[in-house]
Amino acid sequence: MKKQFKFLAFTLFFGLLITSCSNDDDSSNGDTNLGDYDNGYFVLNEGNGNPATASITFVGDDGIIVEDVFRLVNPAAEEIGSYLQDIFFDDTRAFIISGSANQVTVVNRYTFEYIATINTNFSAPRYGTVENGKAYVTNSADWSTGADDFLTIIDLNDYSTTTMIVGDYSEKITSDDDYVYISNGYYGSGNAVTVLNTNTQELTSIDLGVGNSPNSIIEEDDDLYLLSYDYASNGKIFKINTITNTIENTIDLPASLVGAKNLVIEDDTFYFTVDASVYSASMSSTTISDTALLTYNSTSTYGVMYGFNVEDDKIYISDGGDFNSNSNVYEYALNGTLLNTITVGVGPNSFHFN
Amino acid sequence: MKKGILFLVGVIFSLSCFSQTMLDSVQQLDEVVLKSDRYLKTFSNTQKVETLKDTILSKSAPSLTQLLNYNSNIYFKENGLGMVSSPSFRGTTAQQTVVAWNGININSQFNGQTDFNTINIRNFDAVSVRSGGGSVLYGSGAIGGSIHLNNDIAFNEGFKNSIYANYGSFNTLDVGVKSGFSSEKFSVDVAINRSSSDNDYDYVDSDKTNLNGAFYNQSVSANFGYKINKKNVLKLYSYLYDGEREFSFIFPSETPTKYQDFNSRNMLEWNGLYGKFISTLKLAYLTEQYKYFANSNLDTYSFGEAKTLIGKYDLSYRVFKDAMLQGVVDITNTSGEGSSIGEKERTISSFSLLYKQEMKSFLYEAALRKEITSNYDSPLLYSLGLQYQFGKHYTINVNGSKNFRIPTYNDLYWEGSGNTNLKPETSNQVEMSHQLDFKYLSFSATGFYNDIKDMIRWLPTGSNWQPVNTDHVESYGLETALDFKYSLKDHQFSLGGTYAYTISKNKDTDLQLIYVPKHKATATFNYQYNRADFYYQTLYVGEVLTLQDDDPKYILDAYFVSNIGLTYALGKEKQFTLGAQIKNLYNKNYQSVANRFMPGINYNFYLNINF
Repeated sequence: MKKQFKFLAFTLFFGLLITSCSNDDDSSNGDTNLGDYDNGYFVLNEGNGNPATASITFVGDDGIIVEDVFRLVNPAAEEIGSYLQDIFFDDTRAFIISGSANQVTVVNRYTFEYIATINTNFSAPRYGTVENGKAYVTNSADWSTGADDFLTIIDLNDYSTTTMIVGDYSEKITSDDDYVYISNGYYGSGNAVTVLNTNTQELTSIDLGVGNSPNSIIEEDDDLYLLSYDYASNGKIFKINTITNTIENTIDLPASLVGAKNLVIEDDTFYFTVDASVYSASMSSTTISDTALLTYNSTSTYGVMYGFNVEDDKIYISDGGDFNSNSNVYEYALNGTLLNTITVGVGPNSFHFN
Repeated sequence: MKKGILFLVGVIFSLSCFSQTMLDSVQQLDEVVLKSDRYLKTFSNTQKVETLKDTILSKSAPSLTQLLNYNSNIYFKENGLGMVSSPSFRGTTAQQTVVAWNGININSQFNGQTDFNTINIRNFDAVSVRSGGGSVLYGSGAIGGSIHLNNDIAFNEGFKNSIYANYGSFNTLDVGVKSGFSSEKFSVDVAINRSSSDNDYDYVDSDKTNLNGAFYNQSVSANFGYKINKKNVLKLYSYLYDGEREFSFIFPSETPTKYQDFNSRNMLEWNGLYGKFISTLKLAYLTEQYKYFANSNLDTYSFGEAKTLIGKYDLSYRVFKDAMLQGVVDITNTSGEGSSIGEKERTISSFSLLYKQEMKSFLYEAALRKEITSNYDSPLLYSLGLQYQFGKHYTINVNGSKNFRIPTYNDLYWEGSGNTNLKPETSNQVEMSHQLDFKYLSFSATGFYNDIKDMIRWLPTGSNWQPVNTDHVESYGLETALDFKYSLKDHQFSLGGTYAYTISKNKDTDLQLIYVPKHKATATFNYQYNRADFYYQTLYVGEVLTLQDDDPKYILDAYFVSNIGLTYALGKEKQFTLGAQIKNLYNKNYQSVANRFMPGINYNFYLNINF
């Protein structure tokens, strides 16, 4: 754990925030077109600290590619910040988190027109979700400890904010039916998941056990799925019953799969990644094969599989490249055939479907 | 280490007994010995050395960045006014430029570079810029060139005092007092300076303001000289610096950060003139300490602290009337520690041999240096320079050298990441310069080529980061300088300008290095009439890449910035000088680092009293 901290401290020292993809988006509004950026997906290019490198690329279902959507639509608006960390949505709006600027920029999710900048009560914000008319954003605050990690709660009527201490490493976040779920794992530190009842403001922590530091969290059909991360050994997939808040099932990944991350569930199938490879398994199976579904080529020294997602019948991979030039997104068919290579911005870290 | 120094002391004592010749010359004493950084005069004949003195220093803002930005070929990458500032000299990195204090290399032991905004020029009598390789003389990092901060020790000048006060926009204050006395045998001068600024300037063409950018620094220097007799002189140089800077925001809601640094430097020097021999013993003790607060509101910080003890003995021997042979032994012991560096000590010894011969119109100088240390394999460094004068007006210089930059404390010892197998970066370079000198006009043009191998870069290895010798950079270019001076009765005109064309490419990508402009130019026009002095100064910096990607959206635009100033001298002996300056006269909106906006038009006023 200490080693991971040093690694982290060092990446920060050089001004690089390592992020992973998020998969919190439930998408698609049918066939109606609600704006230029409906029916496609956004790639979040976190950038390298220079705000000009922080951008959002739109890729339409029709193949159209629009670079730097935010600045294109809103040339005079407040900047979105740098080290873009996450985008999350409600029905009409998209919320863009900047880790270094301590701010969330609100835009119309279909037209990308600027609505507001929220910049109170953040300290190194990470990921967000919307539940019950409010947005919940995790904050790392001081990187070296989880004790001060907190939630920023945004009132979506007037964008006023309040905070709530979580007191444990607070990273990925998801929500459903009045509950918010926070993954308490941070590069090998922390091994719990915290449940927030948004009606009572009550927090409940579920222990995953020593060595099981979660890096992905998904809510699916009233169950919660987490993938634990480990530098040195194989991870696990946890299934948690959200009614009883207990671990219902645990699946060990094969011993050869060390450092698994990016858990995605699509059409009753688990997808996750190890290094440059993608693995999949049916949700009903009790074991997982260590045969990769696909392996892509990466020359990136620290941005391999920087972003990953699966949506409908495609697998999306972004490569971090050298964080010092524009990089690529790869679209694969579910059988592992490369369909498209798309040039995006600097440090693409996640996919968000609209 | 101690043993080594004792040995050196022993050598000199035996030497002063052995040489009893009385060929001592007072002139030699004054010219050669009283300069702290003798190599600038004695072994830099075939490279360009530009010295900036009083008149230029007093017109400049107190930071070394501003002084050199407007008066040299060096390019600066400045994170907003007064913030972190790193130079690129001849297209090299910040770690490949040495800053020397009275001849001693003071680049940080931790990151191998000097932040040029943490150097206040007011404490120094002269700032010199030496272009090109100089590792043989100044050690690690002298690849692009070196900057020399020097104090002169004067004798026979009586009392000399001055007060300087400057106030300007953004509540910027720059004040100093200097007091000195010297007799035939004894010399002392003490200077105290403080510079501070709220630095909360409004951005041009924007409703935003520079937030969290305040800084202050204060320094004290004290220099002593004592002529024991006609043959022996003792000197002591002391310097203390204390500074704090906030790091300005790009976005108003960022977490505030700040940085404090505290440095001390002391050097005792003993010069002896024994006939054909000149002996110099230097003992120096330097400390550096920094604290970085990742959140200014908290008391927690990360730090680094290093102490360096240097013993250096230099003996020159006049072999012939026109030839000088010099041997140097040097021992440097550093112990340092930091938040992520356990306490580590390293000792480096070096031996150098230098030879210079001046004939009628021909001069050559050659030098060798070899370091011995257990920390890394050190290459044999050399330098060879030739000069030929064609008559009175035209001089050609050719110089070739091998230089290096050694791995820093961070590179070697960073907890869990440091790589003790690193080699030094090495640079092989050649240059040729043409110098034309006439009564009113001088012009120089220097072409250079620099091949830098094994450049150290931090790369990840698994879950960890490690520095490795990887990059290979090739730099070449042209530097030119023009000076014109003309007087007509009470009117004095001068015009000075520099222009540099620099190509610096990573051999792997074939792209220009980031933040290295291909073009940089400076010009200053000065007109003096009786007690009044007017100047106009301008700086041009060409476009730079901010990423290893030539996508136009990542290219930072070129900029032109101009300043004007006026001074007027009052009093019988012109002992009072009043000055006013307007900076960024045309209110240009410019950035030297992406999104780090510099101030628009701003003003300052100063008073200088000499008594």
